[in-house]
Amino acid sequence: MSDHENISGEMLNAFVDGELDAGEWESLAQRIEADPLLGGEVAALRIAKDRVRNAYAGLPAPAAAPRGRARPGRWAAAAAVFAAAGWFAHAWLFAVPELDPASAYVLANAPASIDSGHVLVHVSTGGQEALGRALDEVEDLLRAARREGRALEVEIVANRSGIDLLEARGAPVAKRIAALRARYANLSLVACGQTLRRLAAGGRKVDLLPGTRVAPSALDEVVDRLRSGWVYVRV
Amino acid sequence: MDYFHELHKRTAVRREVQRLRPAMYRVACGWCHDPSLADDLVQEAVEKALRNAGQARDPERLQGWLYSILANCLRDHYRAVHVHEDVDALGESLEDGGAGPEELCSRGQTGRQVRRAVSRLPLGQRQVLILVDLEECSYAEVGEALRIPLGTVMSRLCRARATLRAALAAGLLAERTTRLRSVK
Repeated sequence: MSDHENISGEMLNAFVDGELDAGEWESLAQRIEADPLLGGEVAALRIAKDRVRNAYAGLPAPAAAPRGRARPGRWAAAAAVFAAAGWFAHAWLFAVPELDPASAYVLANAPASIDSGHVLVHVSTGGQEALGRALDEVEDLLRAARREGRALEVEIVANRSGIDLLEARGAPVAKRIAALRARYANLSLVACGQTLRRLAAGGRKVDLLPGTRVAPSALDEVVDRLRSGWVYVRV
Repeated sequence: MDYFHELHKRTAVRREVQRLRPAMYRVACGWCHDPSLADDLVQEAVEKALRNAGQARDPERLQGWLYSILANCLRDHYRAVHVHEDVDALGESLEDGGAGPEELCSRGQTGRQVRRAVSRLPLGQRQVLILVDLEECSYAEVGEALRIPLGTVMSRLCRARATLRAALAAGLLAERTTRLRSVK
C-alpha cells in the first residue's frame, strides 16, 4: 500500500477521515477513481473505520450512582476486574440477527439498535451493482421485520452519484425502489439537497421519486439520525 | 470583577464537563476496555477538570482538554499498577483474557472481534483510533489532546488500521474454516 504510486497509507487514511484540503482531496479522488487497487484500499479503510464505530455503538451506560472520593486501593481492584474483562466476555451483542456478515457487516454489529427499529442506509455511489446490493439489504431487513412482527423504520439517504437511486425515470433500480415503497410504508427516501443544487448548477434537473424528502444535505441527515440513535449503514 | 469572571468560567466549565461526560466514558471504554475502570477514570478526570477549571482556555471548547486529562489519568493508573509505561509498546499485556479463540470464531461476533482486535493494539495507537473513529476528532484535535505531533497521529492511525484489518481478515478466515468443518 505505502509504495503504491507514491501514495502513502497515511494519505489514504487522511482521505478517508476527511483530513485533506479541497485540492489534495480532488487530486487523490481522481487517482482513486482511476485505480481499482487504490479504490479497494480506500473501501477497506472505510470498512475498518465503520467497524470500529459500530463495535462500540452499544456501550453500557456509565454507573448512575455518584461514587465516593478516590480511595487509595481502588486501582488494584480495578486491575483485577480489568483482567477478567467482564464487559468483553458478556454478550452485550447477543441476539445477533442472521445476516451475511460479508454484505451486512455494519448491521451485524448493531443488533441492539436494529431491535430498537431505526436504520439509516446511506448510498453515495451510483453503479447498478452497488445500488442493487443496497436494495437487497434493505428488502431483507424490511421483510424480516414484517415476518417477525417487529417495528422497523428504514430510511435511505442518497447523495453524490447515489442520487440515481431516487430518480423517477432512472434505471431499473428506481423502479424496484418504487415497488418496495409501495409494499412497505416504513421505508422512506431522502435526497441530499446539496447534491441536487450542485447538479442543478450543472444543468441537470433531477426528477425525484414521489414522496422523496429533500434534506439540506446528506451529512446533516446522517448526523441528525445518529444523534437520535439510528443504526447507520453506508453502502 | 476578576472574581466574577472566574466564577462565570467555572460554571461554564462545570456545565460543559457534565455534557461531555458520556463522550468521556465512551472514550475511556475504548481505551481501556473495562467499564468499571472507565467509570473510575472518568470520575477522576471530571474531579481534576473541575478542580483546575481556571486552566481551561475556552470553557466552550473543552473536549480536547478533557481528553488530555483522561489520558493522564489512564497513564497514572497504568503506572500505579506497574503495567508497562511505554505507550507505544503497551498492548499485548492488556488484551482481555475473556473469550477464547473458539468463541471468537462463532457466528455474528464481528463487534466482539473488532473490540478484541482494538484492545490488542498498543495504547498509543488505540487512543488515536478511538478518538478519530468514535469521537470523529480531527487529527489536530487528537494531537492536542494526546500532546503528540500531527505526523505521529497519522502514523499511529495508519498502523492501527493496518493491524486491525489484518486481524479481522484472519478472524473471518478462521470463522469460515470452522463453519466449513462443521458442515462436513
